[in-house]
Amino acid sequence: MSTAVNKYDVLKSNDDSGEEDNGSRDMKDKPLPQVEVKPGEHPLQYTYSLWFSRRAPGKQATTQNYDQNLQLLARFASVEQFWGYYSRCLRPVDLPSHSDIHIFKDGIKPMWEDSANKNGGKWIVRLRKGLASRCWENMILAMLGEQFMVGDEICGAVISVRFQEDIISVWNRTAQDSITTGKIRDTLKRVLNLPPTTVMEYKTHNDSLKHTHSASSLLRKPGLPMRHDLLH
Amino acid sequence: MSASPVARQAVAQAQPQSIPRRIQINSPAEMPHDYSTTPGGTMFSTTPGGTRIIYERTFLLQMRNSPLAKSPPKNLPVIPGVTAKDDAVVHRENGTIPEEPEKTEAVEGDQFEMDL
Repeated sequence: MSTAVNKYDVLKSNDDSGEEDNGSRDMKDKPLPQVEVKPGEHPLQYTYSLWFSRRAPGKQATTQNYDQNLQLLARFASVEQFWGYYSRCLRPVDLPSHSDIHIFKDGIKPMWEDSANKNGGKWIVRLRKGLASRCWENMILAMLGEQFMVGDEICGAVISVRFQEDIISVWNRTAQDSITTGKIRDTLKRVLNLPPTTVMEYKTHNDSLKHTHSASSLLRKPGLPMRHDLLH
Repeated sequence: MSASPVARQAVAQAQPQSIPRRIQINSPAEMPHDYSTTPGGTMFSTTPGGTRIIYERTFLLQMRNSPLAKSPPKNLPVIPGVTAKDDAVVHRENGTIPEEPEKTEAVEGDQFEMDL
């Protein structure tokens, strides 16, 4: 196993990642309790989870170490709770390279293998350095505010901080639903206020998986194939 | 058909009033910021999934500085370089950050090997 495991891992339950993966260690088996919306707060349509992961530089990302690096930071169900957490997280511009911040609907793990994701895909927006913090905030606000108008299709969004660029991905449930993916693309263009030259690409998680072997074999053979959902 | 005497009298005595002003909107930027919103978000009942809680960006941004949003969240792990340990690294456009009571004890040492 790799050395760059952070110390919070000791707070988590034992490493028995040979199992089929259903939720993280944090979410193992039993669903987490409902997030309470206090009087006076503005409820969101969904409860969300805020995740962080960081890949050790120079290491290939595998399913296992991807899973291990995923850390659940917070869950929120109201506008006020969101701001409380968001304001205490560093913005993408301040994060070290190879960091990922994931905001996913509660119960959906930011992995291809999650049942909500396995037939899905993602829009990928590559941003030149300097745009990420603003675009990411606009992205989150549009998602939390239900601006995409695609029913339950949105699973979550990721900002990936990389060396020469930053990448925003928006994951949805059904990759084959071109009406939905088209709507997501159009909303993204509108809310991110992207430069006209920005290239957007849709990729199914299935295609991403084909670059590796099957998900379950990955979980049993750590350290071998590379994961491409990490985008370099 | 014809108005009642009372109504006719009211019309006769009414002060002239200006016709409600029409504002020409030429671009989306000129839209009032609270267009189509109601306090507490806008409910749309016609979306495929049924009623949904919709918030416009401007409304969400306003909420950023509400007192409830400023109260320190519980259980946010302090990770150097990721989440804020103290006020200095917290970004907020306006206002100040209240003291964080009973902060969870940070594990000493670096959580990650920083190699920037």
